Amino acid sequence: MKQITLTPIKFSSIALEFDELIPDEIYGWSKEDFEKYEVPVGNSRFPLTDYYDIEVEGEAQSPEEVKMIIDGDAGRVKYIGCKMDAGEIVVNGDADLHAGAEMEGGSLTVNGNAESYCGREMKGGEITIKGNVREYAGTSYIGEWRGMSGGKLTIHGNAGKQLADAMSGGEIHVMGNCDILAGIHMTKGFIQIDGDVTRWPGGQMKNGAIVINGRLERLLEGFELDAIVTDPEVEGRQFTGKYIKYTGDIGVNGKGTLLLNAEKNRHHL
Amino acid sequence: MAYEPPVTDYDKIVENCTCAFCGSNCDDVDILVKDNHVVGVRHACRLGASKIMEDEDQRLTVPMIRDENGELVEVDWDTALDKAAELIAGAVRPVFYGWSETSIEAMKPGLELTELVGAVIDNQATICHGPTVQAVQNVGYPLMTLGEVKNRADMVVYTGSNPMNAHPRHLARYTTFPKGFFRKRGRFDRTLVTWDPKYSDTAKLSDIWVPFEENGDYAFCNAIRAVLKGKELKQDVISGIPKEDIVALTEKMKNTQFGALFFGLGLTHTLSKQRNIDIAIQLVQDLNKYTKWVLLPMRGHFNVNGFNIFMSYEMGFPYGVDFSRGYPRYMIGETTTIDLLNRKECDVFMVIAADPGAHFPGGALAHLADIPVIQIDIHWGPSTELADVVLPGTFIGVETAGTSYRMDSVPIFMKKAIDPPETCREDEWIVNELLKRVTKLKEASK
Amino acid sequence: MEYILKNGIVYDPINEINGEKKDVMFKDGKIVNSVSDDAKVIDVTDKLVMPAGIDVHCHLAGPKLCVGRLYRPEDERRGVKPKTDITRPETGFSIPNCPATGYRFSKMGYGTVVEAAVPPLEAKHTHEEIIAIPNIDIPPLTLFGNNWFILQFAKEGRIEDIAAFVSAWLKITKGYGVKIVNPCGSEAWGWGMNVHGIDDPAPYWDVTAREVIRALAQANEMLGLPHSIHIHPNDLGHPGNFPTTVNTIDCMKDIKKNSEYRNQTIHLTHAQFHCYDGTSWRDVTSGVEPVADYINKHDHVTMDMGQVTLDETTTMTADGPMEYDLYELTGLKWANKDIELETASGLVPFIYSGRNPVHSLQWAIGLELALMIEDPWKVCLTTDSPNAGPFIRYPRVMSWLMSYQRRAEMMDNKEVHAWAGRKSALGTLDREYDFYDIATITRAGPSKIYGFEDRGHLGAGAIADIAVYDLEPNNFDPTRNAAEVEKAFSNALYTIKDGQILVKDGEIVKVVSSKHVRTEVEGFEDEEKRILEEIMPFFNRYYTVKFENYVVHDHYAEPSSVYKVNASK
Ligand code: SF4
Ligand SMILES: [Zn+2]
Ligand SMILES: [Zn+2]
Repeated sequence: MKQITLTPIKFSSIALEFDELIPDEIYGWSKEDFEKYEVPVGNSRFPLTDYYDIEVEGEAQSPEEVKMIIDGDAGRVKYIGCKMDAGEIVVNGDADLHAGAEMEGGSLTVNGNAESYCGREMKGGEITIKGNVREYAGTSYIGEWRGMSGGKLTIHGNAGKQLADAMSGGEIHVMGNCDILAGIHMTKGFIQIDGDVTRWPGGQMKNGAIVINGRLERLLEGFELDAIVTDPEVEGRQFTGKYIKYTGDIGVNGKGTLLLNAEKNRHHL
Repeated sequence: MAYEPPVTDYDKIVENCTCAFCGSNCDDVDILVKDNHVVGVRHACRLGASKIMEDEDQRLTVPMIRDENGELVEVDWDTALDKAAELIAGAVRPVFYGWSETSIEAMKPGLELTELVGAVIDNQATICHGPTVQAVQNVGYPLMTLGEVKNRADMVVYTGSNPMNAHPRHLARYTTFPKGFFRKRGRFDRTLVTWDPKYSDTAKLSDIWVPFEENGDYAFCNAIRAVLKGKELKQDVISGIPKEDIVALTEKMKNTQFGALFFGLGLTHTLSKQRNIDIAIQLVQDLNKYTKWVLLPMRGHFNVNGFNIFMSYEMGFPYGVDFSRGYPRYMIGETTTIDLLNRKECDVFMVIAADPGAHFPGGALAHLADIPVIQIDIHWGPSTELADVVLPGTFIGVETAGTSYRMDSVPIFMKKAIDPPETCREDEWIVNELLKRVTKLKEASK
Repeated sequence: MEYILKNGIVYDPINEINGEKKDVMFKDGKIVNSVSDDAKVIDVTDKLVMPAGIDVHCHLAGPKLCVGRLYRPEDERRGVKPKTDITRPETGFSIPNCPATGYRFSKMGYGTVVEAAVPPLEAKHTHEEIIAIPNIDIPPLTLFGNNWFILQFAKEGRIEDIAAFVSAWLKITKGYGVKIVNPCGSEAWGWGMNVHGIDDPAPYWDVTAREVIRALAQANEMLGLPHSIHIHPNDLGHPGNFPTTVNTIDCMKDIKKNSEYRNQTIHLTHAQFHCYDGTSWRDVTSGVEPVADYINKHDHVTMDMGQVTLDETTTMTADGPMEYDLYELTGLKWANKDIELETASGLVPFIYSGRNPVHSLQWAIGLELALMIEDPWKVCLTTDSPNAGPFIRYPRVMSWLMSYQRRAEMMDNKEVHAWAGRKSALGTLDREYDFYDIATITRAGPSKIYGFEDRGHLGAGAIADIAVYDLEPNNFDPTRNAAEVEKAFSNALYTIKDGQILVKDGEIVKVVSSKHVRTEVEGFEDEEKRILEEIMPFFNRYYTVKFENYVVHDHYAEPSSVYKVNASK
């Protein structure tokens, strides 16, 4: 195992970009290599040592054997774990835009909040955000109709608007509340939201499933009531209790499943 | 309006000039000139005419630099350009914003400068029709040139915009009133519809007004689409509109011969932002199963669309393009001006032919006050108060010729009617000078 | 500056040079027969030398492209490359940004690329993009097939007035030739409709495709334009459309050609999309045989392939109704752009896949055409880029044409679906193109077809547009090495344009401005003036721009290369 610890010593309001610092790239790097490395900041590159104390312990033969810890706030560090394929990254603080975007494997844990585009176009691996995420978590790239396709994104806090646009696989679990239009344009995959949802989950969804355990404010006309179901099984997961089951969005001939906890959503009946 | 006697005292008329105000780019404007001054304007609407006639008091006439006391003081062009070039060459996260009221010809060196220093280049779409562009990218873009509407349309729908105020000749010149080839009786051959929570001036002229509630746009369009799919609506009232009205309207839209939907910022700036456009576009796509429908965003400035087109063909992305890593990146929320300012990332800001001082949110303005700002413009404005270097440009379409793209993407060559003031310089020249000077500085520091 | 390109193996079909070891000399941008002792020597001993490539049909500059770029950032993101000391940043795969378009063509050894569809109202836009594209000359074809004036005049049989209109509009748009797309069908799309076959009249105008095509062709020949009419026929992409294709060509056979250089009076574009038999996508089969047979027996027609390359791409055409059909088929984002009084157009992203039976059949049909039409001078290599695939795949198409083994391998190991073999005759066609044939379909033929007397060959006086590839024809078997063929044609050893070395070892070493290649008719000015006077009231009433602002001013078309045509000859 190789453990790399980056301890912040200086804050830059112009974001650092960490797309090159993923286990796949750095598993062979020594402490000297890190000290030589210049990190992209705006239109320039500056020594990583300007911003971090760097600690490297142990050896790694492959990216799987890497654990990188950013031991402090990374609220201005973009692209953490972006495109990573293996290994582990832990952020002991907030993470900036695109945390875990296009990730294919390995794990990323953020012990804080994540900015927008967290888990964008995720293909595999696991992302855990202990705090909240801003907009567009687990979303696709603009214009791209094939969004997140695999892996698991777990958000312990709340999720902002337009979660999982064009999701086409994988799993998202929001333990807190969720803002409008979760799962918009979704074609496949599974979203579970334990808290309350403002409005319009599943807009223009074609397929896949969304389960809401909290209260949903407004539902779209494009969702047809199917039945009240008890202890449903959705995409291989067992839920207990009564759920209101809808199919939609019929505006796009969608066959997506939307389940609302019946207890909390009597107002829709 | 009070009666104004026609202008008779002029040396010449320059015909078929293009109004450099709203995205209608009316190219039938006659400018009356006496002693190299505009003394009259024919055919333009009030907004356009007053822009062209604009009172010269507010004109920026000389280059200026803010001195140690915080006062803008007049300097010569060399000094001002060198100062601006030095700021740009030394920046780590420069943003070049604006461009919607200048010509394509000025954008060219602007983009070259952007590529050279690894800046972000962005235009007003970032604060206005950005969500429209995103929606277009998500679901498509079934549009047409305005003459298609003039010649064929028997139903015209406006939503989220009030053209009678913001694009005054839009109805008269293109969509509703003109006699078209297949609509020989003009207005009488068309049904005009407005979807708007407010009883706007356009709504007042309309045959049908649909006052859906604020933020009700997404659910309203969703309901029409459901009706089109043959679905019975469950709720009696959707977004404040009785379901019978929605059904009746849907029928009308289905049974028209050629329908055109125009949408404005109103639709992009409610709760579900680009998703309103997204679903409106899909509604128009659905309607094409039954009959002909097209749509068009009501772009504000005369070249806001031009910038998006220019950037798309030059660099593949329409606005908010970041060259900091040597290749173009386009990511809403990351490479867009307001976000870069709100996050206090930008360290040098150049604004050309735009007024962030009047339109940006507070947080962004607060940051602008903290960093060097270079302004290229023709008028004093709130942005001048923020500027550290002021470079006075010329008036495209009146003093300088150039290319613009109308809201429907028709390119128009805007000619000039008079010569610019001697102390001002064309935007294209100014940006080219900056490019030359920054290139020199960069080479020297290699 | 004088150069001598030494000891290459030269393929120059116009001058009947077939793989001779030969020096090519040029001076001040032109090919010459001799140079002085000061000439700079470029040693290309045993390497493959051809005139620079000419693409007869590509969508690379203009409003449709721009809609594509604007609404497909997900395509732009593919192919992003940072700037270098010489080149600007690149973006895009199927619809690259303008700089990348120029660099990528240049790297393949191409020197001239025809932009296939220019709506007159937005011609300025096309020319603005040509300015932004480096390193290749671009002749734009102006769209006439659904123009209201043409529809009206064709109905009334006013051929000379059509000639006058075409002559004027080529000047106004700074265009090179006459393009016709789904005649009458794109106008019908103004009402959400289409026409079927060449005898189905356009709504209101009551004129048929047959009448429009014939009228434009007669006008084209009356003027003696360097290129013939260039047609995208009706019924594109419909199973059972091959009779429409044959009828389209056949309705032209009595029209007399008025050009010494070219042979044809009609160029059929992206023929692959027009050679389907059957009645639906379920029972569709190849309809190549009757079309190829017709072309083999008649000399008034040339064609280009429109070869499917099995990529994710962007379809774009002035055939508006076709694009809506495609949208209904795929559900992928649909863009449309109708142009007042002139044309329609549409776009839809498309994913061609070798796993898909229909796409595989389309792949086979394109190749079948090129292999079943006997005379390579009648065939041009295209992918109707980006419609059937992006232009960077031309070298791959060459490798398929050159190797029966590679084609068989693709069918055998399931790189394409069984329909490719089952529903077409491709598996039985063992013909293989050699380098001379490749030079014919990508250089010499296009030169003839377009009347480009100054390019497409290496005779003295031609512009020095030359490509050298890193293959040694005498020590290399292209029938067995498809991958190497593709690689070599993708990365020219040298691309020389107007005598300047733009590419060396597959890298761009120099960037120059592209030329706007256009036609100007002389001797028809009075007719032009008369027709303009006649139509001006109509123009002013129904267009939304002033005529003065409609015209493409000179500064949009610099630098230009103008082919003057004497109409009175
Ligand atoms: S409508 Fe717009 S472009 Fe036309 S004159 Fe008025 S302000 Fe100018
Ligand atoms: Zn075509
Ligand atoms: Zn084409």
